[in-house]
Amino acid sequence: MTFRQFAYRNVVRNRRVYAAFFMASVFSVMVFFLYSMLLFHPSIENTFLKEISALGMGIAELVLFIFTLFFLFYSMRAFLQARSKEFGVLLLLGMAKRQLHRLIFIETMLLGFASILTGIFIGFMFSKFFFMIVKAIVQIPVLPLYLSWKPFGLTMGAFLSLFAIISYIAPVFIQQGKISDLLHGDTAVQSVYMYSKSRGIFGVILLVLAYAMAAFVSRSSILSLFFLLPPLITFGTYFFFTDTLPLILHTLRSRKNIFWRDFWMISISESIVRLKENARMFFIVTIVSTIAFMSVGILASLTSFASQYREVNPLGLVYKSLPHNEFEHRHIAQLTSELEQENLDYFAVRFRVLEQQSSYTQNSVNIVRLADLNELAASFGQQPLQLEQGHAMFLPASASAAGQLSNTTVSTKLAESNLLLNVEGVYPYKLFPPNAMGLNTIVLNHLDFDRVEEQTKGSALSFTYYAFNVNEWQKTKDIGLSINAQVLAGLMLDDRDPVRFEFENPGLNYSHIRMTFSLLLFIGLLLAGVFFLASGSFIYFRLYTSLSHDRRQYAVLQRIGMTDREFKKIVNRQLIPQFFFPWGVSFIHSVFAFLSLQVIWEALAEISIVKELTLVLAGFALMQVLYFYLIRWRYISHIKAPTS
Amino acid sequence: MNGQMRKPVVKMEEVTKIYEGKVMHRALNQLDFDVQEGEFVAIMGPSGSGKTTLLNLLMATDIPTYGRILIGGVEPETLSQNEIALFRRRQIGFVFQEINLLQMLTVEENLVLPLTLDGLPVHEMKAKVEDMARKLRLEDILERRPDELSGGQAQRTAIGRALIHQPSIVLADEPTGNLDSKSAKDVLELLEHINQHEKTTIIMVTHDPIAASYCDRVLFIKDGEFFNEIYKDERRQTFFQRILNVLSLLGGNVNDFSSVRLP
Repeated sequence: MTFRQFAYRNVVRNRRVYAAFFMASVFSVMVFFLYSMLLFHPSIENTFLKEISALGMGIAELVLFIFTLFFLFYSMRAFLQARSKEFGVLLLLGMAKRQLHRLIFIETMLLGFASILTGIFIGFMFSKFFFMIVKAIVQIPVLPLYLSWKPFGLTMGAFLSLFAIISYIAPVFIQQGKISDLLHGDTAVQSVYMYSKSRGIFGVILLVLAYAMAAFVSRSSILSLFFLLPPLITFGTYFFFTDTLPLILHTLRSRKNIFWRDFWMISISESIVRLKENARMFFIVTIVSTIAFMSVGILASLTSFASQYREVNPLGLVYKSLPHNEFEHRHIAQLTSELEQENLDYFAVRFRVLEQQSSYTQNSVNIVRLADLNELAASFGQQPLQLEQGHAMFLPASASAAGQLSNTTVSTKLAESNLLLNVEGVYPYKLFPPNAMGLNTIVLNHLDFDRVEEQTKGSALSFTYYAFNVNEWQKTKDIGLSINAQVLAGLMLDDRDPVRFEFENPGLNYSHIRMTFSLLLFIGLLLAGVFFLASGSFIYFRLYTSLSHDRRQYAVLQRIGMTDREFKKIVNRQLIPQFFFPWGVSFIHSVFAFLSLQVIWEALAEISIVKELTLVLAGFALMQVLYFYLIRWRYISHIKAPTS
Repeated sequence: MNGQMRKPVVKMEEVTKIYEGKVMHRALNQLDFDVQEGEFVAIMGPSGSGKTTLLNLLMATDIPTYGRILIGGVEPETLSQNEIALFRRRQIGFVFQEINLLQMLTVEENLVLPLTLDGLPVHEMKAKVEDMARKLRLEDILERRPDELSGGQAQRTAIGRALIHQPSIVLADEPTGNLDSKSAKDVLELLEHINQHEKTTIIMVTHDPIAASYCDRVLFIKDGEFFNEIYKDERRQTFFQRILNVLSLLGGNVNDFSSVRLP
């Protein structure tokens, strides 16, 4: 048997240990490869998606790479510790330290090669499927499967270097310590019971403080909290796991009435050891999961923003022409002919909006004719409204403005036209995007409107507003592209006169927003999937490394007389905290984080992200429960297996 | 002897245990013996004589191929998995060579462990632990964890754990195997004391003739069959000599007993 064969057999025969490690590495290689396939896809090159996908995928790949590095690093250490007895025997038999390092190097590289090849293979098998999903959510033309060395090269290069780093560093973990220490395995039991009461309390204070701040955040303080909360939460979480939890459990331990009740004694005392041993890992898992929850939650809420886009933008096309706009008639003719070419039904209303000074507030006020509004409202299937002469209604700029104005009554005089008005009530239908007609707008009946126009001899005209109501509003994304280009060109070249018109195509904007958000969400979900799998695997590795200790304990309990059901109960009580504590804490973190984010969202778009969040959190919880049962099943069968 | 008048706690009738496998192995062959209530019995035999098999059968972790075992009047073979666990929990106490205290529990918690499984009221448990700690001189170390104990203290704790639920039999497997001679003497005197004052039946498997000399009766087995038995007499020294005599007759692997060859 050559040295290399020996290394190979070590891996193959230790496959039970390596399985979870292998699985998680394969998964991250696969996801990385899929991202690369999309990144280098030739059809994406010339769409607007190129920048988003390059940026999104690039960041995702970087995050994935760094995370995988940490993950492999940590699991490698856990493995080598678990196998310390084996290494002790090898050293005792006269293996040189250098040879041992080589052994570990070869083993790790073997595993690395296997997972890279498997990951790329599975990734390539799934890439067509992956493209189909991307196509479906992003609504771009079919992405054909393509063959190029680039994604293969990138994945291979990235992960080979990653595994090389790991296998080079890994032996450091076992370098310290004498052979006799290795043979006895880790005996550092004492440190497990050390904790600091003051740090424990400090941790709770930090967390409570951060939560309170997040819960009572206001719009003005949110920016400073952005910088203050993450470090608070991070340190608080760290102390929570290293000191607060032991503090709580030790307190519980001294309460014999609770502690001495059926299985709690074994479960709690076992938890003390486990939670302390793994405190750092739980800390990492908690922070990583919090970030994963948050990013998916934020992305999901962005998607929800897109789906509420229609509510905010009820009109299909909007053209706003300022006075002295030479293009007005040409543009409107172009829009209507393009709509007809696309066979889209539309209903267009031309609004002339006047501007007057209110003597009541000294602010300028925009005036809209009720008859125009009634015409547009009819196309939405709404009943026409009536207004008496001398009466006016507010036309609210947004939903929140409508709430404020609903109980306001104002008597005013329009300065230029000397028109006395009693402004009362709010125009009830939502026909325009926010702020379409200006911030301070009222509705007059046509007689008053004409009078204002007559009195001011046409000088009061503020702008003309063309509202196109298009039922199939998502199909308008190819309408008026040249006008858009003209607006853009006008923005770029500021030496010329600014353009005297505005054009908005919600269908086009929506399709961009939707594509971007869906793509980002998809990337985020895949990343979260990797985090999820990896953090579960961390727990599995730790369980595996303590397996021999756990088996001995199981044997003792069996002799004392413990039934299978009771044993399962004990395992549950030991595993559940390990599985759900980090996740639970990150759940709570995320909930508070979203509480403060909700404030931003309300300020920005007046939408609620509660529904999306509940979905995201519930989805993760379900996955975690499934994962828990899978690992409990493996763990129990390992414990009960006869000792080898 | 006086034991004959009492009722047997353990009754083995023609017990045979055969391990099937690539090589069929007859570990016990038609073994027949009783242990009376309140008796302190040692079982001796060279390596491979079937001591471990016998112990496994008594612990009900294994069942005999032929024959019948009655422990406290029940036949473990007829019980379900659950009933066996409950049976062990209530009827049997175990003391092992490798001391097997749960590392994360203190001495007090290790002692009380079997009781918590049965869900006794806390005040009752407390009383029992105090009582047991006094008997085993563990009062000062109740708050310590197993890795802070000497071998003797740890084994005394294990004995305490085996006795706290007042089992009808205590099974001991080389309880002095890992201990220095002083601690070993301590532990054996303790077992003897418990046997005499609490009338607890003890079955001890051992290699050590000194340990065996503390018992009422020593049962020798060889190659899975009954070989001989001797009862204690007035002086331990002579009993010890007689045990050595049987052992030299027993032959087997001399090395098994080399450490106790007397000058």
